Amino acid sequence: MAEKNDILEKQISSDYKYGFTSDIDMDTAPMGLSEDIVRFISKKKNEPEWMLEFRLKAYRHWLKMEEPHEWAHLEYPKINYQNIIFYAAPKQKKELASLDEVDPELLKTFEKLGISLEEQKRLSGVQSTIAVDAVIDSVSVKTTFKEVLAEKGIIFCSFSEAVQEHPELIKKYMGSVVPYSDNYFAALNSAVFTDGSFCYIPKGVRCPMELSTYFRINTAGTGQFERTLIVADEGAYVSYLEGCTAPRRDENQLHAAVVEIVAHKNGEVKYSTVQNWYPGDKNGKGGIYNFVTKRGICREENSKISWTQVETGSAITWKYPSVILKGDNSVGEFYSVAVTNNHQQADTGTKMLHIGKNTRSTIVSKGISAGCSNNAYRGLVRVAKGAKNARNFSQCDSLLMGDKCGAHTFPYIEIKDKTAVVEHEATTSKIGEDQLFYCQQRGIDKEKAIGLIVNGYCREVFNQLPMEFAVEAQKLLAVSLEGSVG
Amino acid sequence: MNAVIDTSATVPARLEGEFKTLLAKTFSSEPEWLKEKRKAAFDSFCKASLPTRKNEEYKYTDVKKVFSGEFTSVYNEAHKLSLDFEKLFVEKNSVKLIFVNGWLHKDSTLSAKLPKGVIVGNLATDGLLIHSGFLKKYLRNDGDTLSRLNAALWTDGAFIYIPENVQLETPIEILHISTGKKEILASFRHLIVAGKNSSVSVIENNISVDLHSHVIVNFHTDIFSGEDSKIQFYRLQNDCKMVSQITSINVLQEKNSRFDTNTITLGRAWARNNLNIALNGENCESHLNGLFITNGNDHVDNHTFIRHNKPNCRSNQLYKGILDGRSTGIFNGKIFVERDAQKTNAYQSSKNILLSDAAAINTKPQLEIYADDVKCSHGSTTGQLNEEAMFYLRSRGLSEDSARNLLLFAFAGDVIEKIQNEPLKIYLEELISQRLRK
Repeated sequence: MAEKNDILEKQISSDYKYGFTSDIDMDTAPMGLSEDIVRFISKKKNEPEWMLEFRLKAYRHWLKMEEPHEWAHLEYPKINYQNIIFYAAPKQKKELASLDEVDPELLKTFEKLGISLEEQKRLSGVQSTIAVDAVIDSVSVKTTFKEVLAEKGIIFCSFSEAVQEHPELIKKYMGSVVPYSDNYFAALNSAVFTDGSFCYIPKGVRCPMELSTYFRINTAGTGQFERTLIVADEGAYVSYLEGCTAPRRDENQLHAAVVEIVAHKNGEVKYSTVQNWYPGDKNGKGGIYNFVTKRGICREENSKISWTQVETGSAITWKYPSVILKGDNSVGEFYSVAVTNNHQQADTGTKMLHIGKNTRSTIVSKGISAGCSNNAYRGLVRVAKGAKNARNFSQCDSLLMGDKCGAHTFPYIEIKDKTAVVEHEATTSKIGEDQLFYCQQRGIDKEKAIGLIVNGYCREVFNQLPMEFAVEAQKLLAVSLEGSVG
Repeated sequence: MNAVIDTSATVPARLEGEFKTLLAKTFSSEPEWLKEKRKAAFDSFCKASLPTRKNEEYKYTDVKKVFSGEFTSVYNEAHKLSLDFEKLFVEKNSVKLIFVNGWLHKDSTLSAKLPKGVIVGNLATDGLLIHSGFLKKYLRNDGDTLSRLNAALWTDGAFIYIPENVQLETPIEILHISTGKKEILASFRHLIVAGKNSSVSVIENNISVDLHSHVIVNFHTDIFSGEDSKIQFYRLQNDCKMVSQITSINVLQEKNSRFDTNTITLGRAWARNNLNIALNGENCESHLNGLFITNGNDHVDNHTFIRHNKPNCRSNQLYKGILDGRSTGIFNGKIFVERDAQKTNAYQSSKNILLSDAAAINTKPQLEIYADDVKCSHGSTTGQLNEEAMFYLRSRGLSEDSARNLLLFAFAGDVIEKIQNEPLKIYLEELISQRLRK
């Protein structure tokens, strides 16, 4: 018992490792949201007229919508949108030519986080590496490896840059997967999004390296509204990584991002996320609200979209990466590990919408709840009329650690075609006493044994992550769960 | 004749006048406490109104559509029925109650030799006239908004009380017939109370006969299962043409009790079946099984909610559906495990076969769990008949139809197997094979 308390104590008192703020001058908009703010953001970013129109349409639609509080297994106070600063950009005097010119304070921040741009640069040209589009509070500071990618015709840049330089692509694809009217937070994002990443892989190109963006929420009280758009043209392939950490804050911060993925004929996009935002302290105070809309469309035949996510952070996670399987023979995948501890709440899952013929989808979700947290899987599998030979397999497992947490599974299965074969399976349990006993009997201490078992439990998902991320994910999991079982 | 009914008004507004008439006439001789109860239930129904599809629990079922016609709830006509009742009952020796449109038609409770203390009768007379104090204790206003509508408007239903240590061997059979020319809302209510260490088996059969207009039947059943008691409740919805049935069963289980229920829906039906089980003592056991075979424009929505409040309880659910035509089937079940309910063992399974391209199935099996030392799982599958099995049977000389029927019969058989009443099992097997041959 004493040992149990020790371990618990250690876990509870372990602080958020990445809680710090960096001092960089900010250029911020006045607090609150109005049509003027939308115009302000658009003007600040020197956007063309059609972009402003899109934002205003979204804003006007958003005014008519209501904040969703009904269906999700989440509890949060009504958000006061007039208390949020919707635009904050680091002050920059000139264009940066090389990494050396990047604000040294910023570089230090990245170093603390363990991903240093310099390291990336040094490694460039060595095997396959990661290209980082660093995003600090809304504005993309520096995109590395751009030149290497440009040779292949790959466009990888910040969203605002793309608006200026590739307006035809943005016009064609923006809002085509997640329309501005899709849901409350997507509408909000469409109105006030500040920056994000844009990625276009041309016909027949296999992206030679993992693409990655790095988000941080920095200025106190700034909501971050990112927008990511990834397009894989015919026969193209890209693996895209997104990682998140945020400094400790007392008030809740809102993050409402939109991610859109388009895969054309024979195209494939693999999207991986490791999310470790500030989850709030052990009493549930503070932390990030993560209300994200992520959706991909397999537009033409033989295309494939795969989502892999490791969620350990955020006070509240509201996230359903989805795939619309429109093209014949298209494939959708969703692999997820969601860990909640202390007072975190997560309502996450996926949607697989089968429309084309011979479409396949796989869902593997592993939830781990500890402390006083609540972890819910909510997923939809829909087979439309005429989606012949659709095949789905879903597996949702939940692991409970401690007797104050909750684990929930809410699958929705809607089938309108008789040739569909759909299977769903879910289990809820705790770590097996016999497994623990076996490990301990072999001389492995309890803590390590739990780590071992949990890692084994999540292996199916970790196997899907790119190497660089798999290591980070395993570390994150260990940190998040350190001693949460006695 | 009644005045023209304004179908554009909301359902509470439409029912308000009728409720007043019912209170003044039909319910006028009832005790004061019951009238108060009805009023309270009606008020709370008016506040909530009908559930809409925005309500997560009614996501796939549009109740408003059912209530959109020119129905009335003020009626009580005598009907002459020319029926072969023999065929509609499973057993010769059972205790029988026959209801028509929510009112008692006739019963065989007097002739039946029941053990001392056992009460089998109807709520409106046996219940209210003789056991009013008992009813006061057990009649409740809880449940969802449609149950509360029932609590306000119920006219009659079965009243069953089994005292301590009595094992009632004779099953009780309830036959409910919808009939007539008028579009009505019938509110029908059962109360079943089983004392400590008692057991009882109830079979309810619902049919429509000589029906010329749409009928809404809003059922509510309260079941109290005492310590160590065993209750079986079988509900059969067969040949309910033009009837929309909303049924809910609320069960409270005490220590070591066991509750078994089977909901068998054999087509020609619009049905929404709610089952709310609260396991309020340790070592309880609950078995919920359902089978629906649908065709045409049938709509069957099975909704279950099992609340594990105490440790060491077990619950098991098996729901199977065979859907043809343009029918829709829904399984929406939830296992809820309270913080204290350690060592819970709960399982939920929903399996479906779609036979036509226009049929649809929606399933939503849910787990909501707050205790860590539990074993809870669910599974849901939807598919077609196994081609290899079909081929095997065809190669043995069976025609395509009979091979198909054999496989479907076996698929349905898993649910029928769970029925503990042998005569009922045989009765249902016959009905199902008839139904599949169609």
